[in-house]
Amino acid sequence: MNKRDNFLKGIIKENPLFVALLGLCPSLAVTTSLENAIGMTLAVFFVLVLSNFIISLIMSNKKLSELVKPVRIPVYIVVIATLVTIVEMVMNAYVIDLYRSLGVFIPLIVVNCIILGRAEAFASENKPVDSLIDGAGMALGYGFAIMLISVFREFLGKGTLTIWGNLQLNLVFVFDFLKIQPIAMFVQPVGAFLSFGLILAAITAIANNHKNKLAKEVTNNG
Amino acid sequence: MNKGLISGLVLLTIGLVCGLLLAVVNYFTAPKIAEEENKIKYAALAEFYALENYDLSEVQGNGAFGTIYILKEKGTDTILSLVYTVAASGYSSSTDVQMLIAVNNDLSVEGYKVVNHQESTGFGADIVDNDFKVSEILDLSNFDSVAGVTVTSNAIKQCFTLVSQRVESDFGGGLGE
Repeated sequence: MNKRDNFLKGIIKENPLFVALLGLCPSLAVTTSLENAIGMTLAVFFVLVLSNFIISLIMSNKKLSELVKPVRIPVYIVVIATLVTIVEMVMNAYVIDLYRSLGVFIPLIVVNCIILGRAEAFASENKPVDSLIDGAGMALGYGFAIMLISVFREFLGKGTLTIWGNLQLNLVFVFDFLKIQPIAMFVQPVGAFLSFGLILAAITAIANNHKNKLAKEVTNNG
Repeated sequence: MNKGLISGLVLLTIGLVCGLLLAVVNYFTAPKIAEEENKIKYAALAEFYALENYDLSEVQGNGAFGTIYILKEKGTDTILSLVYTVAASGYSSSTDVQMLIAVNNDLSVEGYKVVNHQESTGFGADIVDNDFKVSEILDLSNFDSVAGVTVTSNAIKQCFTLVSQRVESDFGGGLGE
């Protein structure tokens, strides 16, 4: 697999949310506004890229990896937890509003199965640079997915799209026609499941269509 | 040496390195976090005073009193102002009207603000949510009433009265810090 495919597979083909269906709980919980989704994406990007890189560095050293192998899961957790704590402290210090609205889901990144999954399935068996690219692709794929869900939910549920709802820099789009009577259900938990289900159905339909077309082309040509 | 033991030592080393890294990050972010948290905590106080000009401390009041904030002159022990968090029962039976009342050391009232209440909409709530004018408060003793509401006014009057009963002794060192 070349580097480009390695990067792109996380975004489309093996999208952690829409294809692998990993890490659903925090994804559904934080997607009440686009701003939250962007913040979560940044946090996950930082943690996933660095954890993949560091774990791959440890595991690609032959001597070290032999020693680490029996305790590799605790080692992954220690590395990931350290990175998450760094993110948490930095967010608490510099973007406190975002920190408060993401709440418990920042510390929960530690046990997010996307990150632990990539560490075990990819980073422990591949070179550091490839792992770094894989982490970036997966994180962006995750970000793309939660941003899509949050746009859907915030638009219908609140009639707004908040990119950065800070006092100094207020990037909030308000859609007057929905602002009058927003469908509040969509920002509640039930709306999260509905939105995710609808988007997942649409994506699966498109993917199946694409697959059928490819299959037809093969039979026609063959 | 025992292989399991070595693995354990490796894990311990990684843990120590990570702990050290966190300590470094914490060293840089901790003061900033404390500052941000104070900002939120003292947001209401900042409406009355420019907090950076004072030494700020707080004591926990009892009875109707919540936190009492003490603003001292920078570097000295002179109390310049006291801000009381005080509550009294208004129209709502479940939630008291909670106020912040800021008093300077010449017993003039710097400002007051209702921070929490559940008075009836259209009556008391309209009054306490807006900047109501307490009839000419020059000092705490001559507070009369808030025009237009009776029961809510009683709560606000009660708050002022409670403060006025203790404020002089508090400035005289009665807070017992």
